[in-house]
Amino acid sequence: MTFRTALVSTFAALMATAAPHVTAAEPKLLEPERAFAFSVQAVDDKTVEARFAIASGYYLYREKLKFSVEPAALASPPMLPPGTIKDDAFFGNVETYRGQLAVRLPLDGAEPGRKVTVRAESQGCADAGVCYPPQVQHVTVALPAPGGRPGAPVAATPARKSWFN
Amino acid sequence: MPRLHKTRRILTWLTLALAGVLALGAGLHFGGFAGDRNVTDRRGTDAGAIFGLALPDTLGHEQSIGQWKGKVLIVNFWATWCVPCREEMPEFVKAQREFGGQGLQFVGIAIDDAAKVKEFAAELDLNYPALIGGYGAIELSRALGNRLGALPFTIIVDRSGHVNHTQLGPIKEAQLRSIISQLL
Repeated sequence: MTFRTALVSTFAALMATAAPHVTAAEPKLLEPERAFAFSVQAVDDKTVEARFAIASGYYLYREKLKFSVEPAALASPPMLPPGTIKDDAFFGNVETYRGQLAVRLPLDGAEPGRKVTVRAESQGCADAGVCYPPQVQHVTVALPAPGGRPGAPVAATPARKSWFN
Repeated sequence: MPRLHKTRRILTWLTLALAGVLALGAGLHFGGFAGDRNVTDRRGTDAGAIFGLALPDTLGHEQSIGQWKGKVLIVNFWATWCVPCREEMPEFVKAQREFGGQGLQFVGIAIDDAAKVKEFAAELDLNYPALIGGYGAIELSRALGNRLGALPFTIIVDRSGHVNHTQLGPIKEAQLRSIISQLL
C-alpha cells in the first residue's frame, strides 16, 4: 500500500460525498391491505359477512365500497351501516368509515356447503395526508350446510409479504 | 532513511483512515440515517421516464412532459377524490405564479375523470397544466419511488433533468420554497 494509493482512495471517497443525491420523504404508512384489513365470514348457508378492520388513523369512503360474489349473486344490495358524514368542499356530503366495518351480504343461488368468493372494492385515505388508489380484494369461504355453524372468518391474503408486516 | 520511511507509513495509514471515514459518512448519509426523515439514495436518477411520458390535458390534447425539459419541473400526481391533494394545490398555484417567470414549471397528473379535473381546475384558477393519467400513471409513479402507489406524490426535477426530491403526502410550503430556491 503506497501513499499514492491511499491518496487516490481518499480522493474517490471525497468524490462520493460530492455526488448529486436525491432526498425522499414519506410519512409512516401501512400497506393498504394492513390499513384496511379485509376478511369474510360465512354466517349461514345463505349469508356471508364482509368485514374491514380499519386501522386507527385511516378511513374508507362509503361511496367507493362495492361488493360482489361468485358464483351466485347478491340477493339484495348490501346493507351498509351509517358512517360519519363530512362536508367536502368539492363533493358536498361525503360518508366515511373508521374502525370495524361489517356488511352482511345475502346470497342468491349459492349452494350450501359450497364455496363462494367475495370481491370487495374499496378506497381509503390516511389522516397522515395520503389517499390510496382503489383496492380490490378477494376472499373465498365455504358455506355451511343449512342449520350448520358459521364458518371461521377468512382473511384476505396480503398482496406482498415483507419482514415488517 | 528509516525515519522517512516510518513517517510515510504513518501518513499512508492516516490517509486511508480518512478515506474510510469519508466513505462511511457518504454511505450513512445516503443510506438513510440523515435525521428523522426517510432519506433514500436514488443517486441523480435520470428523469427520463417522466420526460418520455405523454398524456392528454383536460381539452384532450396530448402533452409530452419532455417539452418542459430544462425547467425546474415539479410533477404532482393527484386526484379530485384525494382531499389532501386538493388542499395543497393552492400553494402550487401561488408558487407557479411567483416563480414561473424564472423557470419553474408545475405539471399535475390527475388519476381521475377529465370532467372532474376540469371543474376543479377552473375553481382553483389553475395556472399550470392538468394532465389526465389512468392507473398506468400510478404504476409510473411507483417506478419513481411511490412505494404505495398513493397520492399525492410529487417529484421535483432539476434543470439538468435529474430527480432532486420525491415526496409521498403533502409537501409543506416552507420545504417547497426551500427546494425551489435551491434549484432555480
